[in-house]
Amino acid sequence: MSFAAPLVLAALVALPAIWLLLRVTPPQPRLIAFPPLRIIRDLAPRRETPARTPWWLLALRLLIAAALILAAAGPILNPPPALDGAADAPVLLVVDNGALAAGDWERRAGVLVEQGEALAREGRSLGIVATAEPTPQVPLLAPAAALERLRAIRPAPHLAGRSAALPAIAGFLAEHPDAQVVWISDGVAGPEEDGFAAELADVVGERSIVVFAEARAPARALAGTDNTASGLVATLVRAEPNGRDAGVLRAVDLRGLPVGETPFAFDPGGTETTARFDLPIELRNAIARVEISGEGSAAAVSLIDERSQRRRVGIVSGASLDQAQPLLAPTFYIERALDPFAEILEARGSASEGVERMLDDGVSVLVLADVGALEPAVEARVEEFVADGGLLLRFAGPRLSAGSDALVPVRLRRGGRTLGGALSWDTPRTLAPFTRESPFQGLAVPEDLGVRRQILAEPDATLPERTWAALADGTPIVTAERRGDGLLVLFHVTADASWSNLPLTGLFVDMLRRTIAFSAAPASARAQGGEDVGPPVAPRQVLDGFGAFVSPPPDAVPVTRAFAGRAEAAHPPGFYGPVDAALAINALLPDDRLAPLDLAPLDAVRAPLEPAETVDLRAPLLAAALVLLVIDSLASLWLGGHLGRLTGRARRTGVAAAIVLGALGALAAPEAARAEGAADDIGILSREVLEGAFETRLAYVITGDARIDETSRAGLDGLSRVLARRTALEPGDPVGVDPGRDELAFFPLLYWPITPDRPLPSAEAIRALDAYMKSGGTVIFDTRDALTHRPSGAPTPETAYLRRMLATLDIPPLEPLPADHVITKTFYILRELPGRYDRSETWVEAMPAIAAEDVVRPARSGDGVSPIIITGNDLAAAWAIGAGGEPMYPVTGSGTRQREMAYRAGVNIVMYTLTGNYKADQVHVPALLERLGN
Amino acid sequence: MARVRVHEPRIRNPGRAEADAALALAHRLPRLVLEARRVSATLAHGLHGRRRAGPGESFWQFRPFHPGEPASRVDWRRSARDDRLYVREREWEAAHSVYVWIDRSASMAFSSDLAQCPKIERAIVLGLALSDAFVEAGERVGLIGLLPPRASRRVVETFAEAIAADRAGLEADLPPEAPLRAQDEALLVSDFLTPVSELAPRIESLSASGARGHLLMIADPVEETFPFAGQAVLEDLEGGGRLRVGDAAAWGEGFRTRLAEHRGALADLARRRGWTLTLHRTDRPASEAALRVLTLVGASRAGQGLTGAA
Repeated sequence: MSFAAPLVLAALVALPAIWLLLRVTPPQPRLIAFPPLRIIRDLAPRRETPARTPWWLLALRLLIAAALILAAAGPILNPPPALDGAADAPVLLVVDNGALAAGDWERRAGVLVEQGEALAREGRSLGIVATAEPTPQVPLLAPAAALERLRAIRPAPHLAGRSAALPAIAGFLAEHPDAQVVWISDGVAGPEEDGFAAELADVVGERSIVVFAEARAPARALAGTDNTASGLVATLVRAEPNGRDAGVLRAVDLRGLPVGETPFAFDPGGTETTARFDLPIELRNAIARVEISGEGSAAAVSLIDERSQRRRVGIVSGASLDQAQPLLAPTFYIERALDPFAEILEARGSASEGVERMLDDGVSVLVLADVGALEPAVEARVEEFVADGGLLLRFAGPRLSAGSDALVPVRLRRGGRTLGGALSWDTPRTLAPFTRESPFQGLAVPEDLGVRRQILAEPDATLPERTWAALADGTPIVTAERRGDGLLVLFHVTADASWSNLPLTGLFVDMLRRTIAFSAAPASARAQGGEDVGPPVAPRQVLDGFGAFVSPPPDAVPVTRAFAGRAEAAHPPGFYGPVDAALAINALLPDDRLAPLDLAPLDAVRAPLEPAETVDLRAPLLAAALVLLVIDSLASLWLGGHLGRLTGRARRTGVAAAIVLGALGALAAPEAARAEGAADDIGILSREVLEGAFETRLAYVITGDARIDETSRAGLDGLSRVLARRTALEPGDPVGVDPGRDELAFFPLLYWPITPDRPLPSAEAIRALDAYMKSGGTVIFDTRDALTHRPSGAPTPETAYLRRMLATLDIPPLEPLPADHVITKTFYILRELPGRYDRSETWVEAMPAIAAEDVVRPARSGDGVSPIIITGNDLAAAWAIGAGGEPMYPVTGSGTRQREMAYRAGVNIVMYTLTGNYKADQVHVPALLERLGN
Repeated sequence: MARVRVHEPRIRNPGRAEADAALALAHRLPRLVLEARRVSATLAHGLHGRRRAGPGESFWQFRPFHPGEPASRVDWRRSARDDRLYVREREWEAAHSVYVWIDRSASMAFSSDLAQCPKIERAIVLGLALSDAFVEAGERVGLIGLLPPRASRRVVETFAEAIAADRAGLEADLPPEAPLRAQDEALLVSDFLTPVSELAPRIESLSASGARGHLLMIADPVEETFPFAGQAVLEDLEGGGRLRVGDAAAWGEGFRTRLAEHRGALADLARRRGWTLTLHRTDRPASEAALRVLTLVGASRAGQGLTGAA
């Protein structure tokens, strides 16, 4: 316990004085208006001694005063050791926040913040250098800003570049000669950091410097991994023996699923060790990330990219070299299939020559496509290659079937077997489903796969276990055998399409890929990985300082594939490039070794890296004083008699609020009840439909396409206004209906825009529509396809949709709108019914044929109203008006006239549906009058 | 602890509400009792003879001249019309009136939550109601210093208007010095929270000619019991003085003794002048005090000067 300003404690002496003062200053008495005072005052003029302040109130106030004085004195529990030197000199705080500092970052941050707070309490300005972050110069920060900055420091995922920060440090110290230096160090010298301490000593000179560091640097790191044929070997390093000898390495795949764990142990005095993951090669190849379990630092994570998994595949073909037709070359399909995930080398020259060159190049997979015979020496080399862990992949062919060598997994019969040929009764065979033991298990066999020729294996007791894939009749098509550490795989068909169409299928690619997965990456692969310089790859997934995958920061820069350096600020460790061909960048290179930091050149005070658990008691004391002050105020109010009034008012306010709330609730309740009533439709009639029954309203079908529904609504709205203005009909607001749900009987007219991308209406909807049309309703089907419709061409999607929809409906015979149809005469005299377009024909129910003896009349109608009108003119779009009455869509023809005609057509249609054949009957009027006159 | 309230000055002017309340109270008063007493008092003293000939201002009747009367009584104008002599008789007008005074000083605008209403309201209601009752009983009632006695039916409204118009009355703590005639009676309605030494000269001046009177003392229950405790500052509404009381409960004992002394002095003053003192607390119904005052007025008419505090 110490005090930041101990002198303030002297104010505690004043407490007795405060006590006296408070004692004679009682709380304010209550004021009572008292008329009889007049007669009492001269009768009883003696005054009484006022009451003293109650002792508990006195104690409370003394407590407040004491708390305030103590808080002002700045009490601190467990204060960190203070720096020497001038109390107001600026301090340069150097913080190691490289990947190696992340392992014990919590302690480190604790010390950091504590030091910062202690310096801030002293009112010192700070310069802050985080060695892993690029620091061009060091600004002098005020204590509060410096604290913010300190709290924001996080460990970086890459190694600290102390030397890079040296110029900034030198600049700061030159600018502030009296500055002191505090270095919170991780105690580890990076791979390229010799002599930093000496350089720092030069810069610091005579100034005092304090170094916070562990006695022995605790950091452990993964230098790298090597996916050898025998296992994945990880190299672990540490700076100096630190007692943390044993641990566990964990390997996970790209999706973060654990693949394996292996223990490791340092020699008690050693600084380097290795650990080996003994896993099957395919599992090893799946490993994307190896980490020291529980270390929690980016340096303890080693990412493994495709470079260690990307095999070199050598392809040697026995076919003639003159490949005028590359599609017929046996190597073409192999190359195309393997190219995305393997490095392809192709041999020139004779087969034996090619094989030798391939082996010299250190391929991990050797593909022999229809190679019959090899020179004995070469054959021996190949055998050796396989025994050392190589993968030999062979494809059959005329040459193989003719020759004979030992490099096949099974004994083969001479000659081949032809299926489905001209002289054979057989049809081409397909593959049987892959067995559970097969590495191809789970791949789907395409239906059109056909194998016309194959090389047969001699039946053998070991044949089934060597078979990876077989034809439907059980004859093996892919066989494999382990020889030594390696594997021999034989496809019993050619690598080109001459024997089967297998190479043409995607299955071929998958099979090859799974086969290749059995090969180990050759030791030389990584070294040669940097040869191909492709386009730069952008960071995809990077590590943060604690070794967790995060999204790449905005300042991460793409790297070329040739990048082989350590991670740095611009290139944080992580995966770069696409998932299939990622490039891994790690915090450490495989050859990096760590060394303890040599602080000897510095004349430094070493301090342990232990947070002092400093507690600043100021805030709690002030809070306590505040709470006591509130209690004191309440007590004073109570003594003065004001509390009762306050509570009374509060009570009244509460009652008033309750009344208001109750009233609101009472008001809201009927609303809610009404809303419930609305939701609860009366029988099958929904609310809007029910309202439609009380006035004539136009209706449209809700298609589910919001834009078209809005157009329909706006269109019918526009038509309704025109009707109200020009005719005796004043329709209500148009309403959208769902034929499957809503009762249609109330609407004289249903507008149905056809939307081919919506599902067909339900069976109930069609049934309801049928009943509606049968009972006198009219439906306008608008295909809106006049622009795309060709009378002689294929039906447009809209027309097709309409046909499908009406297929189950009982539709009367239709005909194009005749010129004398009554619909052209009901209100305006029109020739056609245009909408947004004017070229589509309108179809209505066919009228009875004109009997020869009938007088030709200007208007004709059938019996009743046509239940169906089909048009493609997009009527609603022409009628549609916006909120301000402006048209929403342009029309094709001359704007004003065609829109007017569209409105007239709409008026006529509505009038037709409402008045039926009344106008047609009008033409009989002269005849009727004449008959009456007679 | 009782809570007290000082009302705004506006309340000290009588309004429609007070007038209505006064009328309602007056209608409930037992008029017949007073009537009976008045009749007996009239017979006993001959003071109340009205509607008969007597000394007065207004004409009452002509009567034939009796021989032996002073010739100056002959009304020659009337006598000239025929052969007989007539004497003009005037109605007997009693110079006997009731004068009312209502204290409307600041201390009256006070109520506690123990009371039914502020003191001023009760005072005005009582004053106006009694005035109306007196008028109903045939008396003439006036306001001391404001209105001459009258027997108007609308006495309540008239008084209320006159009182409301009287700004000076808001400040006066004591009745004006207006000597009354011997036959008059005074009714002073007030809280009488002025030192008796100041009140005594006024009472003496009012009763200098022998007029009798009645003091109706309106008191808030708090002013009697002083139910306070703890520390308090007492504030005088008129003088503006304040008294800090350290322990109100203890102080209350002394206060009650003093108040009793004050009332004793007041009763003594009244008794010496032949007046009566009626104490009315605002937590009691107004009709109690009205009845008692009516009884006292009737009794004083009957010559049975009943004095003393109730």
